[in-house]
Amino acid sequence: MSLVWSSDLELGIPVIDSQHQRIVDYIGQVEHAQKHHDQAEVMEVLDELVDYTLSHFIFEESLMEEAGYPFCKAHQKVHQLFTKRVDGFQQRAKSGEDITEELLHVLKAWLVNHIKRDDRDYTASVKANMNAVAKAKKKKQGSWFNRLFG
Amino acid sequence: MKTIWSSQYELGIEVIDNQHKRIVEYINQIHELSHSNSGDVSEVLHNLVDYTYSHFAFEEALMEEAGYPALTEHQFTHRTFIKQIETLKQRFNQGEQVAQELAAMLQHWLLNHIQEDDSSYSSLVKSNILGEHAERHQNWVKKAFQQYFKSPG
Repeated sequence: MSLVWSSDLELGIPVIDSQHQRIVDYIGQVEHAQKHHDQAEVMEVLDELVDYTLSHFIFEESLMEEAGYPFCKAHQKVHQLFTKRVDGFQQRAKSGEDITEELLHVLKAWLVNHIKRDDRDYTASVKANMNAVAKAKKKKQGSWFNRLFG
Repeated sequence: MKTIWSSQYELGIEVIDNQHKRIVEYINQIHELSHSNSGDVSEVLHNLVDYTYSHFAFEEALMEEAGYPALTEHQFTHRTFIKQIETLKQRFNQGEQVAQELAAMLQHWLLNHIQEDDSSYSSLVKSNILGEHAERHQNWVKKAFQQYFKSPG
């Protein structure tokens, strides 16, 4: 079954939501290429999908760390565990095995559960931190404006 | 038999409690599917096993960070249990009807594990990780307070 982006996958942090959405889009592209039996396209998008997902993890981890989310390291471990599984898939693919179906299946199930459960837990911390940073920035801009025109 | 989640299974660390709850949800789903003989047990079973391993990794990282002295023993318990799960999973993959057996074993193990083993690390996590967090927050409030309400003179 193809994975469709829906509001129950949204965390309310636009930068993260758009990255998750992008991952879902990539999954759709792989499935599309698979349907059209374009194996070269499948392999290419699959590579991009994996690359993008791994860099998304790094981005997410830095946001959590910056926000002082207390379970940042534990969350990172979950990412690492999944990355290892993906590595395993890539090794199998290199040795000529067709892992597309299985990887897509695992990725879809994992991603949905991870977003809905594990990611949801850091949302409050990250949002609060983002708001605080935005406010501080605004305040700074305000005072600069006041100094100049006040 | 389905598990009805209750406060006796709660450690008071929300993120961990939610993970345990999720695992119980998967277990209940397997029981339901096995009874009605409908739906894809295999799908739920693999999700259950995956999420349990992911939860173990999360929990172990947390214990390590909190400086939990019995980490090695706890890790050993997890590893031993993973071996049991893997054996059953293999049998399932080979076509044996062991989904319910696996769910029952996990259910039994998990609820015992939560009440006995997990409760011993939860206080340390609360004081060393959440406590530190709370303190940091307090310091920030204190600093801000001092900044805004400097005593005169």
